[in-house]
Amino acid sequence: MCYIYVCLVEMNKNPVEGFSAGLVDDEDIYKWEVMIIGPADTPYEGGFFKAQLVFPKDYPQRPPKMTFLTEMWHPNIGTDGLVCISILHEPGNDKYGYESASERWLPIHTVETILISVISMLADPNDESPANVDAAKMWREKPDEFKKKVAKCVRKNYHYHIIHISAPLNLKNHRTHFIPYKLLQ
Amino acid sequence: MGNCFKTPSTDDISLLRGNESQEGSDQSLGPPPPYQERVPVFHPSPNVSRPANQLSEEEQIKIAKRLGLISHLPSGVYDGSSKKGKECAICMCDFVLGEGLRFLPCMHTYHKTCIDDWLMRSFTCPSCMEPVDAALLTTYETN
Repeated sequence: MCYIYVCLVEMNKNPVEGFSAGLVDDEDIYKWEVMIIGPADTPYEGGFFKAQLVFPKDYPQRPPKMTFLTEMWHPNIGTDGLVCISILHEPGNDKYGYESASERWLPIHTVETILISVISMLADPNDESPANVDAAKMWREKPDEFKKKVAKCVRKNYHYHIIHISAPLNLKNHRTHFIPYKLLQ
Repeated sequence: MGNCFKTPSTDDISLLRGNESQEGSDQSLGPPPPYQERVPVFHPSPNVSRPANQLSEEEQIKIAKRLGLISHLPSGVYDGSSKKGKECAICMCDFVLGEGLRFLPCMHTYHKTCIDDWLMRSFTCPSCMEPVDAALLTTYETN
């Protein structure tokens, strides 16, 4: 329990470019809200995406679940927003040998390493095991159409962040820590 | 079909003794063991978590083997020497004098409780991802 809290304090002390994180509710440290800035030179550039991380009670022995709350179009993000990357898969060896244990969740991952993986997933989708088959097909076969569809999501989320910057005072005291650093500059 | 995974407090030897005394005389019998609600939970494969009394025979064998292998890994107590590392990479806490440690064949050190819980889920070192069983075999071969 205190481990997750330490993670949060550490992240606010040493901010990493590209994302910010904080609690949804001060009383519940198992639920985090994160903001991810679309990486440069990708169709997601300029976008500002909100996601939720839900930690199991036995974290870090088991991975958290990450769900995008803002609309996303990506081969590895389900239509429900659930992020599907191997490092967030339950640990151990499965019978089918689909993923080796080393590719799955490891207890040394932190919120920081998870978010770095998610940002690299945005930049470099894996279409071998897509969570959104239509997005994967479009990404492979009609890259221009794919970019257009992503651009639409980016525009939608752009509006969202304008609203957020203009109203930081409405946020609870310690939540002001996680107004994305780029926007404060 | 018996269940091998009793809670640690129910010791097999004491059970045996209990049976013997039951056959002999009934006066040496103490009060019945308290009802145990907390059954340990095991994770036989990804996405599967089951209390010990609901495991299939195959899963019981797998877990028994794993418990046996873990018990062969060297363990000790933190004595303040920095050679063995100062922090547990799982809970990110510094080792405190007297805390139980577990040493993996790949030379990585963790809190005993942190790594034993992890090894029951995945038999790999979280830091270098080396499969612990393979490393165990090589250390046996070289010795």
